[in-house]
Amino acid sequence: MPELQPDDPIKTRSYANVILIAIFVLLLCVSWSFYQEFIGLRPWRSYQTRFAESYSAYLQKQVRDREAAEKAVESSADYQKLQAALQQAEAVADPQDKAIKQQSDLVDLQRAAILSAFQTDRSLVGSLIYDYEVVPNTAAYRSEKQSHLQAVLDAEAKEYSVDWPEGDGKTVTRTFNYNQLNDTFNQLLDQKAQLTAKQGDIDQPVKDAQAAMAKLISDKLPGLTADQLDGLLKSARDMDVTLVQINVNPPGTQINDIGGVGLTDRCQSCHVGMNPKFVPAALTITKADLGLPRSNDAPFTSHPDQDLLTWHPLDTFGCSPCHGGNGRALDTVELAHGRYEHWLWPLNYPENYQAGCQQCHSADAWTEHAPVLNEAKILFRDRGCIGCHNYAGFDSQGQQLQDTDREIASLEKEKVDDNQKIPILNKQGDQAPDNATAQRLYAEATNLTVTVSKLDARVEQLDQLSHSLQQEVKRVGPDLKEVRLKLHPEWIPYWLGHTWNFDPTAQMPQFRLEPDEVQAISAFIWQQGLKGPALDKQAPGDPARGKDLFNSLGCLACHSIGEGSQKIGGDIADNLSREGEKANYDYIVRWIHNPRVRSAPYDPYLHRDLTSEDYTKHGLPFVFDVDHSRSPVDGHELVVQQQTIMPDFRLSWQEARDIASFLMTQKDASSHYDPAPFVNDASLYEKGRTLVVHYGCAGCHEISGLEDASRVGTDLTQEGSKPIGRFDFALLYTKAQDGILPDGQPLKRGNEYSSWYDLKGFFDQKLADPAVFDEGQYKPDPMDRLKMPKPNVTQDQINALTSFLLGSTQSTLPPSYQYLPTDQRQAIQDGWWIVTKYNCIGCHQIDIGQRTILMDLPAYKGDNAINLPPVLTSEGARVNPEWLKSFLANPSLSATDTDRDGVRQYLKVRMPTFFLSDDEVRKLVLFFGALSSQQQPFIPEKLAPLSDQERSVARAIFTSPAAPCLKCHMTGNPAHDANATAPNFLLAGQRLRSAWTERWITEPATIIPGTAMPSGLFVRQGNRWVFNAPLPPEAKNYTGDEADLLVRYLMELTPQEQAMLSGRTPVAAKSGSSSVKK
Amino acid sequence: MNRKVVCCTVAIAFAALVGGCSKSQNGTEQQQPAAAATKTIDPATVGSVSGTIKLDGAAPAYKAINMSADPYCVKANAGHPVMPQEVVTGDGNTLGNVVVYVKSGAEGYSFPTPTDTVTLDQKNCTYTPHVLALMVGQQLSVINSDDTTHNIHPTPTDNREWNKSQPPKAPAITDSFARPEIAIPVKCNVHPWMKGYIAVMANPFYAVTDKDGKFDLKGLPPGTYTIEAWQEKYGTQDQTVTIGAKEDKAGVDFTFKAQ
Repeated sequence: MPELQPDDPIKTRSYANVILIAIFVLLLCVSWSFYQEFIGLRPWRSYQTRFAESYSAYLQKQVRDREAAEKAVESSADYQKLQAALQQAEAVADPQDKAIKQQSDLVDLQRAAILSAFQTDRSLVGSLIYDYEVVPNTAAYRSEKQSHLQAVLDAEAKEYSVDWPEGDGKTVTRTFNYNQLNDTFNQLLDQKAQLTAKQGDIDQPVKDAQAAMAKLISDKLPGLTADQLDGLLKSARDMDVTLVQINVNPPGTQINDIGGVGLTDRCQSCHVGMNPKFVPAALTITKADLGLPRSNDAPFTSHPDQDLLTWHPLDTFGCSPCHGGNGRALDTVELAHGRYEHWLWPLNYPENYQAGCQQCHSADAWTEHAPVLNEAKILFRDRGCIGCHNYAGFDSQGQQLQDTDREIASLEKEKVDDNQKIPILNKQGDQAPDNATAQRLYAEATNLTVTVSKLDARVEQLDQLSHSLQQEVKRVGPDLKEVRLKLHPEWIPYWLGHTWNFDPTAQMPQFRLEPDEVQAISAFIWQQGLKGPALDKQAPGDPARGKDLFNSLGCLACHSIGEGSQKIGGDIADNLSREGEKANYDYIVRWIHNPRVRSAPYDPYLHRDLTSEDYTKHGLPFVFDVDHSRSPVDGHELVVQQQTIMPDFRLSWQEARDIASFLMTQKDASSHYDPAPFVNDASLYEKGRTLVVHYGCAGCHEISGLEDASRVGTDLTQEGSKPIGRFDFALLYTKAQDGILPDGQPLKRGNEYSSWYDLKGFFDQKLADPAVFDEGQYKPDPMDRLKMPKPNVTQDQINALTSFLLGSTQSTLPPSYQYLPTDQRQAIQDGWWIVTKYNCIGCHQIDIGQRTILMDLPAYKGDNAINLPPVLTSEGARVNPEWLKSFLANPSLSATDTDRDGVRQYLKVRMPTFFLSDDEVRKLVLFFGALSSQQQPFIPEKLAPLSDQERSVARAIFTSPAAPCLKCHMTGNPAHDANATAPNFLLAGQRLRSAWTERWITEPATIIPGTAMPSGLFVRQGNRWVFNAPLPPEAKNYTGDEADLLVRYLMELTPQEQAMLSGRTPVAAKSGSSSVKK
Repeated sequence: MNRKVVCCTVAIAFAALVGGCSKSQNGTEQQQPAAAATKTIDPATVGSVSGTIKLDGAAPAYKAINMSADPYCVKANAGHPVMPQEVVTGDGNTLGNVVVYVKSGAEGYSFPTPTDTVTLDQKNCTYTPHVLALMVGQQLSVINSDDTTHNIHPTPTDNREWNKSQPPKAPAITDSFARPEIAIPVKCNVHPWMKGYIAVMANPFYAVTDKDGKFDLKGLPPGTYTIEAWQEKYGTQDQTVTIGAKEDKAGVDFTFKAQ
């Protein structure tokens, strides 16, 4: 070892401090990297740990509570009784079970004992028979065949000795030949099967008792059992901290196809509570369950709507496709939620959650579980957005009409071409060189004639379709051609300038109009109005009676009346509190009598209204309605009805006068209107026309000369896909980025201050007041300003519309995610477009749980709910579609007696006539069928005809004092029907479906909860329904199903039979008349 | 500087760091809501509140019910016209069928569910009693004493709705109501004039007045209570009453104005 230098720095200088510092630095680096690795970069790790802790604690408590509850039930008298029953059953079954087990064991032993001999012998015999069979059956082989046969016989006769168990452990030696072995073996199999069946019978009472106990527990304590909860607790405690990722890559796409079709979603790495492995659907957990304050940043709660997850399974959808956000980001909450400038699909705020639904459900009119979206779609139409903005799927009848006309033209041309070809082909056939060619050419000509006749059928269908489409075109606003007949001229300028002063709930938006613009528009509209034919003069009606009718007929399902807190009714049509200030009585009478009547038909081909002269010239009376809809001038389909959705209530003229008289009393006595002589000023006409075109008034109103005007606004079908740069924030750009609202207030979203430079911010502000985007700009000419009027919407409605627009995207999801069903669900959506269009849901409950407008009116509260229009949730299963078709066409079900409801004459509320087009009727009938999963077309169930004996039994039950049927249901006897509350049974045969009827009479409350029809009329006895009351003597020996019997009886019921029943039942005729005498 | 010091320092520093890192992230404490302490009633201190309900003005003039829709009902009441029970008054314009109960003030106590069953009888095509009150969870038994089929159809707002048919001589229909509600209308759809009310009470301090309009709520522990009187036509009225130990407060009267 060499000697060290005395000044060797290694020896003389200490590096301890340097090393210490280095160690610190190194440690820090290592710690920092560990921290980053496990926590900093992976916040989801700590989320998962925290989840496991809070969730375990929650489950622990649940397990304890549940155990205690289960114990309580187990110690209850009911349970003890069941337990005693179980023990008793066991005591009975056990000895028998034991005996059977012994027998069964013995059979097993015996079978085992002979098995070897049986198998050996069977194969031996089998092979010998084969040897015998393969020898040819000819003389040459006779002796060989004979010897083989002998071998078989010998083998069959051969005896095997077997140690045969006799029970009690003893065995005896028995011998068996081939046949005995076979027989014994089969006997043993039979014995075994019999014993097993017997054991099943013996054990059944025990199994029943056990099932009864389990049922008691599940009835008293629904939800997960303590054992199940315990299992969850274990899996929560053993939870692996791991990244959760969902990849969905449709064929031919790549995982990294950002913004394209592939899908990567890691949201559940933090949102652990979504995982059904840990939190099953039966256990929806909230922050409160986990003992966390609402504001706590802890993404642990489970999805509040488990049905949605059933339809959109997490493992194929993940979270971000519906909710937005950056599904693959994990580093921070902000990144994962996509709340930064360059992510195009930020996480939707709670008020806009349903934007996610719209991405794939844009073709729906009604999406289950998406009430906000459904409301938005109704608003989009009813607030007149659709008047200016095109949106695919909404009110496209105009476009379809054009397409249909074009197709008809092209088919007509094809027909002409084909018709020219036929004689040519025939002639070529005549001159053909040989018969084969001639035959071919003649056949071609014949085929072509058939083709032409099929074209005729197609054209005829298209004609019908165009008739339908013309009928389906509706406008949100009233027909302005009739202003001179309907309105007071001085009211028009007031309305235009002060729309919401006159009616704070008006559907019409408030336009930003200068006084001279108001005058010009009023003048144009007035001068453009029809001047005749003059209306019939109407005598005054009775306002008190009118008020009664107005309140009870169902007007309030669409219209509202009263102002402020006094307002009741729907928002789909006008508030009528001030109707008397604006309208002419004679016109309103005609309108109420039939709102579809118009003063003149419009000819879209000639672009003008037809006059009586046009008809006279062609020798026709001036009659135009749905049945007389062809132009006498050019044969085209006319507009023969008012383009309003308001239906015809089939009222008498007197009733119409009464209601109109009531509406005329609806006015604010203090209001005053300045005279408006300028409406007749011809010099204002041109300016007015320009303004009316500019503001797009013809989008909602029918205006002479502007019938074909196109929509003036932007197409909004894919508005949510526009990049933010294409939205004009104008001078509000900086404010939006800084999160300052137009009014100077800072914007808060949830609990946080936020920028509103995003699509949501733009839509929210634009809907609240479009004018704000003009702020600070120099626009001396009012026509330079943004022309969008202020829509009359509440904050909730703005949220709904914003959600709708945010979801109106060109979806980046794989096409298979789009909801474009081709099965019955398509029929359901087709129907919803019509149902929402005519506001059927204002009166009827169609979707389970859906509220109607009428339901919430004070007049129908409590036990008055039975006066509501019928619930239609099972309509498709209830009625025969053929009947429904005729009912929709004419709800009075009578050609002459129309001033009534065809089914429920006892209801004051009445089903009106909507003049639905054939196509709409077809779609509605299919819709109701599809909603109730009914097959199309409908083939009625064949019912066994009643025998005479059955008929007399049915009659006896039906009319027995214990059967309340005829007390509530109409019988056709006026005295009785005055107080009836249910339809006449005579309708049943054509109207009802028998299967539904049986379900209805046995368990009505499961079909329509709250119905006046009582449950418990029948009880189940074994396999049949039995009338639940003392039976009349005639019926006592009947052994069939009594519900089925009554249904068959009702389906066969004839007027004669009913009259006879009324005679027999004193309910109707006798007591009715006696009460009158009193 | 010796090696020991360095080693120690390094060890301490490392321990501190590791300790610091491993410190629990869990800031969420389990917050168990403190169970509401249930007060117990001392029978020695209880008092009562009593009074009379009156009607100010004349009761509406009613016509006898027309039961002609069901001949059985006509026969059952032959010679005794049945009057609607909507407003029933006694001498001195006292008001019957009024439910008087402690609306608030008794929340702190817990009350056992009474084990006796309250019966609603359908007799001669009317409900007897017309207004009945029972406690949450208490058994209601509906019986049919008539020789005609009735259906019993409570139309509650807060409770579960049901509608069952009950033929003559059928066994009683029993049920209970899980939530307090004043008052559930009960109706027979077969006999539309049959209408009654069931008041479901949260505590046992309630009474339904007879024609004499008198009520007496007994067994009340000292405290301040809101006493409410409910009448099917005239709605509700309430009063705040404070009673001391063993105090029997009389004269807590209510007057409904005839409309």
